[in-house]
Amino acid sequence: MLEIIKKTLRTGCQTIKYPQVPDIAPEGFRGKPEFAAEKCTYCGNCIKVCPPGVIWLCEQKGEKRLSLSCCGCIFCGRCEEVCTAGAIKLTLEYELCAKKKEDLLSSIRSKS
Amino acid sequence: MNNEIIEKIKKDLHDNILEESRSHNEIYFTVKKGSIVKLCDHIYYHLDLPLVSIFATDERKIDGSFKIHYVFSMDRNDAFIILRIKVDSKESSYPSITPKIASANWYEREMQDMFGLVPLGHPDPRRLMNFEDWPEEIHPLRKDFDIKTKPPRVKGEYIYRHVDGEGVYEIPVGPVHAGVIEPGHFRFSVAGEPIINLEIRHFYTHKGVEKLFENISIDKAVFLAERVSGDNSVAHVVAFCQAMEKIALINVPLRAIYIRTILLELERIYNHLADIAGIATDVAFAFGAAHANKLKEEVLQLNEQITGSRMLRGMNAIGGVRRDIGDKKNMILQKLSNIQRDFRKLMEHLTSTPSLMDRIENTGRIYNDIAKGLHVVGPVGRASGLDRDTRRDHPYAAYKELNFKVPIQKAGDVLSRTIVRADEICESVALIEQALWALPEGEIRVHLDRIPDGQALGYTEAPRGETIYWIRTIGNRIERCKVRDPSFCNWLAIEYAVLDNIVPDFPIINKSLSLSYSGNDM
Repeated sequence: MLEIIKKTLRTGCQTIKYPQVPDIAPEGFRGKPEFAAEKCTYCGNCIKVCPPGVIWLCEQKGEKRLSLSCCGCIFCGRCEEVCTAGAIKLTLEYELCAKKKEDLLSSIRSKS
Repeated sequence: MNNEIIEKIKKDLHDNILEESRSHNEIYFTVKKGSIVKLCDHIYYHLDLPLVSIFATDERKIDGSFKIHYVFSMDRNDAFIILRIKVDSKESSYPSITPKIASANWYEREMQDMFGLVPLGHPDPRRLMNFEDWPEEIHPLRKDFDIKTKPPRVKGEYIYRHVDGEGVYEIPVGPVHAGVIEPGHFRFSVAGEPIINLEIRHFYTHKGVEKLFENISIDKAVFLAERVSGDNSVAHVVAFCQAMEKIALINVPLRAIYIRTILLELERIYNHLADIAGIATDVAFAFGAAHANKLKEEVLQLNEQITGSRMLRGMNAIGGVRRDIGDKKNMILQKLSNIQRDFRKLMEHLTSTPSLMDRIENTGRIYNDIAKGLHVVGPVGRASGLDRDTRRDHPYAAYKELNFKVPIQKAGDVLSRTIVRADEICESVALIEQALWALPEGEIRVHLDRIPDGQALGYTEAPRGETIYWIRTIGNRIERCKVRDPSFCNWLAIEYAVLDNIVPDFPIINKSLSLSYSGNDM
């Protein structure tokens, strides 16, 4: 019993002050993938390799729209791996809670 | 491979062999269907080779038949003997080996549901994976079953085993449980507090993983393998990749092999820590649970720093690994040494706490003969005196180059399983240290565009035990992928482990077996 009390006192408080103090993910973390609109060539490589199929391209009224839904994304980073233009990258962002599925959608557009 | 033994086996099987082929360390014998019981019996009992998997393939398009494969492991020679029988699609039945070899039980029932192949003489021919509302004559793994099919629901009934007697009561538990765990039904028959019978029923959330493998491209299948069993991700994906690499005849760069070993051992450490924490929780020893969980969290955070994923995902690929971890060597060594120091102290606390020891000693015994008969694998088997470890018996990754012991206990109770896990954590830390010091320079991945046609076994020792993949590829896609998770073997052992124990000890016994629902029910 004495040992347990000693160990408990020595360990102290282990919880961190998140979310009051932001907890930043380490370098190389597999977080929310983000597009860089200016670099994207709309080649479609990321669409082909995405295992859960959450990246897609729409063409409408002379406009191309590339969308990605974090709802279903497994953060494998295959899109980043195959993108020769460096237009999609996994970020350190992990706070991905949303009330609506649409809020998990990110898109970029370009005139074709 | 020892050719003398193979020749001896061939002599024993003599005129029953119709065809023989070899690839890598796998020897396939196509044998006469009628002789399968005799041959399996001979290999299993006389040659003392454990039966590690049974699976079927639908080859009706090629020769109008199904094939059933019986995989035996030659632990001492790092080889596998695979007996293959042909089952004509018109007959769709074959002699059951379960009356002779108990560990064949679930495999044969699985094939009955998934392929419609009837094991004649099976002592318990009830359905296993297809529930009573699933129509007869619809078998999901047959090639003519389209993955998008939604069969109609039909009426049916599942009959449980029943124990009768004065003062015998049934306690049904689940499939929905109080904690956030997966579904499974447990039906206890008790006389007073002691359990006199337990029947488990699973497969409530069948995901059709094996069918899915056949319907996706190989590069995507890697990520599916990684998600078959959440906390055994690395073991599954490495087994998958190794099978593919065997088929493609590629040599994975040494550096990648060492990195894989490090990841596999990190996975073992956090799983075993979680199990020890769970046992402390289930005996209401909050202090032990808190500290074990704290250590587990430290390993998960270390995982995140190394790989970007707490569960070590996204690291493995066919041909190597996707990220290098060599630059983090000092950080890993430092953290692991702290974790090990704290863990050793924690184990001293745990084993010197009478309220904990009293609950786990002699609880949930799995006797050696039961463990062997049911083919119990992993730390649970090793705690019952089964000296088997895929890392040593069929060395893969860098295990051949590294030194480690395989901890064995004999008592087969919750305490033995806890000690085996604790010892394994220390061995794993030592393995990671060795691998980091010996980490060779060089490439981490070879790229390949196409997987040739072929078939191979891939295997790893997951934290829960031996994990086996058998893959056949045709035309750069997966024709069949059989996944054998350790929990598929170990679940039945719980029916024996709880006998004569009291109901309140069930959670501890369950935790000490560390069974996966998801890996079992693919």
